[in-house]
Order: sequence, then C-alpha cells, then structure tokens
Amino acid sequence: MTSLLGYLGGEDGRNILSGLVNTCVLWVVGTLLGTVLGFLTAVARRYGPRPIDWLLKACVEVIRGTPFLVQAYLLYFGGPYLCLELGGASACLTLDPFEAGILGLTIYAGAYFSELFRAGFDAIPRGHIEAATTVGLDRWQTLRRIILPEMTMLVLPAMVNMSILLLKETAVLSIISVKELKFQVDIIGNRDYAFVEAFTILALVYWALVELCGRAGRYAEARLSRYRFAHS
Amino acid sequence: MSWELFWLLVEASGLTIVYSAVSIFFGFLLAAAICGADLSGRAAVARPARLFVSFFRGTPLLIQLLLIYYLLPKIGLNVPSEVAAVIGLSFSTASYQAEILRGGFQSVPRGVVEAADMCGLSARATFRRIRLPIAVRLTLPALTSEAIMILKSSSLISVVGVVELTTMAKDLASSTYQPLPIFASAGFIYLVINLVVAGLGLWAERSARRGHA
Amino acid sequence: MSTVPAIRVRGLVKRFGDVEVLSGIDLDAPRGEVTCLIGPSGSGKSTLLRCIALLEEATDGFIEIDGEPLGFGLGPNGERMRLPQASVRQVRAKIGMVFQQFNLWPHMTALGNVAEALVTVHGMPRAAANAKAMAELDKVGLAARAEHYPSELSGGQQQRVAIARALALEPRIMLFDEPTSSLDPELTGEVLSVMRGLADSGMTMLVVTHEIGFAASVASKIVFLDHGKLLVEGAPGTVFGKPRHPRIEQFLDTYLDRGAAGLL
Repeated sequence: MTSLLGYLGGEDGRNILSGLVNTCVLWVVGTLLGTVLGFLTAVARRYGPRPIDWLLKACVEVIRGTPFLVQAYLLYFGGPYLCLELGGASACLTLDPFEAGILGLTIYAGAYFSELFRAGFDAIPRGHIEAATTVGLDRWQTLRRIILPEMTMLVLPAMVNMSILLLKETAVLSIISVKELKFQVDIIGNRDYAFVEAFTILALVYWALVELCGRAGRYAEARLSRYRFAHS
Repeated sequence: MSWELFWLLVEASGLTIVYSAVSIFFGFLLAAAICGADLSGRAAVARPARLFVSFFRGTPLLIQLLLIYYLLPKIGLNVPSEVAAVIGLSFSTASYQAEILRGGFQSVPRGVVEAADMCGLSARATFRRIRLPIAVRLTLPALTSEAIMILKSSSLISVVGVVELTTMAKDLASSTYQPLPIFASAGFIYLVINLVVAGLGLWAERSARRGHA
Repeated sequence: MSTVPAIRVRGLVKRFGDVEVLSGIDLDAPRGEVTCLIGPSGSGKSTLLRCIALLEEATDGFIEIDGEPLGFGLGPNGERMRLPQASVRQVRAKIGMVFQQFNLWPHMTALGNVAEALVTVHGMPRAAANAKAMAELDKVGLAARAEHYPSELSGGQQQRVAIARALALEPRIMLFDEPTSSLDPELTGEVLSVMRGLADSGMTMLVVTHEIGFAASVASKIVFLDHGKLLVEGAPGTVFGKPRHPRIEQFLDTYLDRGAAGLL
C-alpha cells in the first residue's frame, strides 16, 4: 500500500490528477453540450419540416449504429482529410486529441439525448398540453412552463444513465491519445510493468465515480418525485 | 478506396459478428444464473450477484478487457487474447442482460401468477409456462438493444490485439493513408449489421406481440 | 349433511402491518346458492375473498371448505396450526376464482388459457384438454373466439374466458372478485348473464360486487361489510328492505345503479 501511495506524490501524482481532471472535463462538457445538441435535435425533428426530420433521423441512426471508437478514429484521423475549399483557401478539420474527444462525445451524446427527449415529448399526455391551451398559454409558454418541466421529470432517470454511459466512454478516448485518466495511469502501468495493478485501480476509480453519479441521480429523482403524475 | 480494401473490411466484420454472437450467448447463460441468484432471496448468492452486476456496469469495458487480458496469465491461465476478449465481453453483457431479465420478471403482473396459483399450477409449472414466456416477451426489445450494444462494444477488443473489423480498419487506414473512406466504410458495415439485428429483433417482437395484453 | 355450509369462516382477522383490514369475520356461504359480499371501498370484502382463496394468509381465524379446513387447522393442543401444502392444494382445487383484472395469460389463446391447467395440472392429453376447453368456451358463448389472444378480445370477452378457465377445472365453489368493476358499462351485461346462468345451474358462488341489481336479484344471501366488520347479513329483502341500516342507506345512495332502483 505504501508503494501505491508513493505514486500519488511527485510527477506521477500530478499526471494522474490531471488525467482525472481531464476525464471529468470531458464527461461534464460532453454531457452538457450533448444535452443541448440533443434537445435542439429533438425540437427540430418534432417542429421542423419533414426533410429536416428525415435528415436528422438518419444522422442519429448512423451515430447510434456505429461504435464510439470508430467515430473517434474517423474524427481524429479522418478529420484532417475533411477539407472545405472556399475560393483559393481551404480549411480542414484538423483537431488535437482533446478537441476530437469533446466533439466526438458531444455528437455521440447528442444523438442518444435527442432520442430521450423525443420519448419525453411523446410521454407527456396530450391532455396536459390541451389544458395549457384552454387556460390561454401560448406555444412558447406551454413549452417552457408545461412541456419542459414535465419532460425533465420523465427523462431524468434515463439522462443519469446516459451520463454514466458517457463517463465510461471517455476511457475509449485514451486510444486516440487524449490525456485523460486511463491514458495517464496506463503510462505508469506500462513503465513499471504493473498492468493488473494499474487497471484494477482504474476500475475502482471509475466504479466509485459511477456509483457517486448514480446516487446523486437517485437523490435528484427523489427530490423531484412529488411532481410526478398524479395517477402514477 | 478500392473494392479490395472494402472486401477486407467485410471479411473482418465476420469476426466481429462471431465474437459478438459467442459473447451474447455465453453472456445470456451467465445472466440467467445471475438473475436467478439475485431473485433467489438468499443473501449468500444474491449479494455476490449484485456486486458482479454493479462492477461490470460501473466500469468502462475497455478497462475490463485490459484487466482480464493481463489478469488471466497472472493467475496461471494462458489463454489466447481472443478468449480473454470474449470473456470480457461476456461478463460485461451478462451484467446488463441480468438487469434486463430481472426487470422482465419483476414486470410480470402479480395477477397472472395468482391466476396460475388458483388453477393449481405448481411453482415449477408457473415459472416455466407463465412467468418465463411473459418475461422473455417483455424483455425482447431491451435484449435486442443489448445485442447491438455488444456488437458496437466489440470494437474495443482491438486494444488487446484481437483482429476484427475495427482492427482491420485501423491497420488499413495507417497503411494506405486513407482514414476517411476506410473508417467511414467500417462505420457503414457496423450500421448494416446493427440494422439487420434491429430488424430481427422487431420480427421476433412482432411474432410474439399477438400474444400480448 | 346439508347443515355443512360450502364455505365457513370463523373469527377471521387480517392485518397488514398495523392496519387491521378484517376484524373477526364469521360467515357461512350455503351450498348451491349465491352469496354476495357488498360494502364500500376499503371495507375489506376483496381481502376476505382473497383470504378464502388463500391468496392472502389470514392473521388469525379459520376457513373451512365443505367442512375441511383450509390453510390452517387445529393442532393437537387446540392451537392454530399451518396445514401441509398437499392438503392446501387438495382443498383449494375445489375453488375457482375470477379476478377483477381477468388475469388471463397474455401469451396463450383463449383456448390455451382454458386448457393449460387441464394439461399441466391434471395431465390430460392435449387433444382431450382442448376438446373440454372448447366445450367450456362454448358455454360462455365464446367458441368462435377460441383462437384469439386476450389482447384481441374485449374486456367482457376476456372475463368470460376467465370464467371458462375456472369452470374447466370443475370447482365446487366459484369466487368472484368484482368481476365487472373494470368493464365498460355496456360490457357488464354479458358477464353478469353468464354468472346468472351459472347460479341457475346450482353453482355455489361467493361474489364481491358493486352491482346491487345483480346482488338483489340473484343472491340468496347478502353480506354487508363495513370497516372490516360484518355489519348486516340476510336475504336481499331483509338487507335492502326498509327500514335499512343507516350505513346501508348511505352505501346505496352512492352505489345504486338505476336498473336496481326498481328492484328494491
């Protein structure tokens, strides 16, 4: 155990900490941007014109139907070949690993979140929206005051699960050399030929983070549960 | 990108399908055992079952795969990396499938079990003839999603050196300097496989739906 | 001989935690007749029926079916003693039950629902079981629907299949737990008429119901439960006739259907 604690001091400790910070940044930013992208996608698909709905549906299906690792590879290695010619100048999607990681997570999360929100829209009883109309709320007020709060309650548990899934996916980004937790611990494990120890500790750290997130989610659910439908 | 390259990817996707199918099969058997242990009401087996599920659902598959890959030789099991990969995938999907099955059994309405009771069906007959078929029908959509999840997750076994679709794509991309078309093609092949699986799932659901209240 | 009632309940108590749902019920259901249990929601009538079906275990008291103890009997020193599973099964086989929510098995056809126990419990060959099931479905007017799944049947049809399923096992006693409460009003008639036919054939029936009209016209005995106690019992004329117990008056104001008004 003393040798294990030894890693936490000095250079190694700093690297592990920066890896943990990067993992959390990727997770939180990816979740937040993914939520925004997912919500916009869901709204566009529901209220936008048909062709937009079809186009976005195709995008969502592609992202949900392919491995995150392949998406990360495509962005990171394929990005520089994805160029836009404008007049004489050309701009390519050249991203450093971290940028590719954030972008990849956001797109990936956005696709899944959009499906959650769509299910949330559908699960709100029509009568609630009709009731809002009869008391004179306009479309925007109905969305803001009725649909959004009700949907939050409905999709919260699934969103917590999705965000846990994203936390675990961040580890995949080490493969495109994003310097997150797994990447940093991996380096130390390789150097000291301590693979099992390194991956055991990694597993325990992620497990703890996931449990923490799950507990926070259940706490939030319990706090919000009194707003649940009267009939449930 | 040439057709030969695309064909190499298609061939490698056969391995992806095989590893995934084997993992889903063993995962299901393990999940059934875990679910049985969890619902048995005996703490001695239920607690380890729940711990297993919590661990494999609470940690990244990438790390599970690497841990199993390095752990097996350390405890004297020198197995090929393909076997380590399938064990990792099976454990992971078992933990998810166990939760799905548990949810299915818990969603079987109490009334239909009481009706079986009143008709004199034994506990065994009630399980085999009433609870199991209803639970399986209830869980079909979730099990289909899980199968698709594992097909996608199998891309991670490339990190322990197992050759499959993603490994092939990575190798071809770096040797031909054509990452864009090659990774896009790999993605396309995954998508086609998953659409087929989703279609099979829908077909299974539809043939079971007639018998649903 | 005829003095032994089909169902005899003595001192039945049921508690859920601290809540006493039934507090010492004594009840006799005479053979070959219809006994209706009525009372406001939460009066304990469904719990009483479920205790008689052993779907709930009573906290105290005894139940006899045809004079045989069900679930609990008297031990050598006169103490209340749980009876072995085999005897429970044997006594319970005399009871058929119809539920408020029908509880048909969703993955089996109407025929499959009726034939299932004939095959798995009584070991009847599939063909013979199907023939018998078909005959039972015919009695409730649903032979034409034999191959339909529950999801393809109306609520009234589902409940008639559920009655056929119970009758196929040739019970001596039929228990009905609010058989029409989850049906649309226009579908209750078909179920009640099947039940009427069953009563006319001499089946012993214990029915929990809010259908006062049915109770008044078919039952030979009405039992009124209130707050877990048996408040009034007797022939419909006695229970519903004036002067009435004030609680019954109040209950009838709430539940009386228009059809029944003329009957009372």
